Amino acid sequence: MTLDEFTRIIDLHGSEPAHWPKSLRGECESFVANNVEARMLLNQQWQVDESMAKLEVPSFPGLETRVLNQLLPERNQNFFEEVLSWLIPDESFGKQFWRPAIAACIPLVFGIVLGNYFSFGIGIEDDGFQYWDDELAMLSLTDYTETNF
Amino acid sequence: MQAVCVGSRSAYQRLVKRYLKSISHYAYRLLGNQKDTEDITQEVFLRLWTNAQKWNTEKSKLTTWLHRITHNLCIDYLRKHGRMQTQDSFDDEAADSPSTSEESNEETNDKTKLLREALSALPENQRSALSLCHYQGFSNKEAAAIMNISVKALESAIARAKRSLREKLTTNI
Repeated sequence: MTLDEFTRIIDLHGSEPAHWPKSLRGECESFVANNVEARMLLNQQWQVDESMAKLEVPSFPGLETRVLNQLLPERNQNFFEEVLSWLIPDESFGKQFWRPAIAACIPLVFGIVLGNYFSFGIGIEDDGFQYWDDELAMLSLTDYTETNF
Repeated sequence: MQAVCVGSRSAYQRLVKRYLKSISHYAYRLLGNQKDTEDITQEVFLRLWTNAQKWNTEKSKLTTWLHRITHNLCIDYLRKHGRMQTQDSFDDEAADSPSTSEESNEETNDKTKLLREALSALPENQRSALSLCHYQGFSNKEAAAIMNISVKALESAIARAKRSLREKLTTNI
């Protein structure tokens, strides 16, 4: 292993040997043990890593409230999305269970109404029965003499 | 997220609580000061609300998508307003904090200040690559996706950043 190769590993994976590639770890460790420049480099990187670990981000008091309270624009939902959010509300779905139940009943009600007003060519009434007296008159005129019993 | 897509404010609030820390920390590491960080964080969550339908669940994780929005907003901001401006007040606050050993504390503060300066002097892509992989805990692949670069380019940026930090810190200490 050369110093350049070791430097590349340090640059990519840091000073912690546990983070070095497994296949090269043993070779790197023996290189460090036998090379003064490698040890110096490792020590420098260790100091950088230690400083980086200590670099803290300040807290942001009030940021959460600020983000949560910011005015959110109204969403331009399409009709399908509006219906869907009404049917399956995100919060308190248990209390709003009647909504999908009502929605499921709509086709049934629609079917009853439709069936009540339209026959769709299926007739259950026979116009002949409306004129039954005419039917009787016609039967009385029928000649049964030629009928073979 | 699907609930946010259909306009649920409570779902939005849950996402804010879950990702606020991560997003604000990443923005701070890129911008270096509290005011800009807060503005950008607010904008990120506004974008989450308005562009929720653009998130593709199969393409990326939500955290990756949010960090990508943050990254783009920060880069735009830095290009408009010049380089990263570090916040000295935080250094002063750190220096004023009580400690058992003042000497070692002073040394640590000097190192921290030096590191902060060295980080702020890094190019945006190197600072971003280092933040995503070292602090935010993303894999190289995820960080590369956030920055919209190849994994090789990301690794190269990290290597250059670490080398640069090492050189600056060791020559100044």
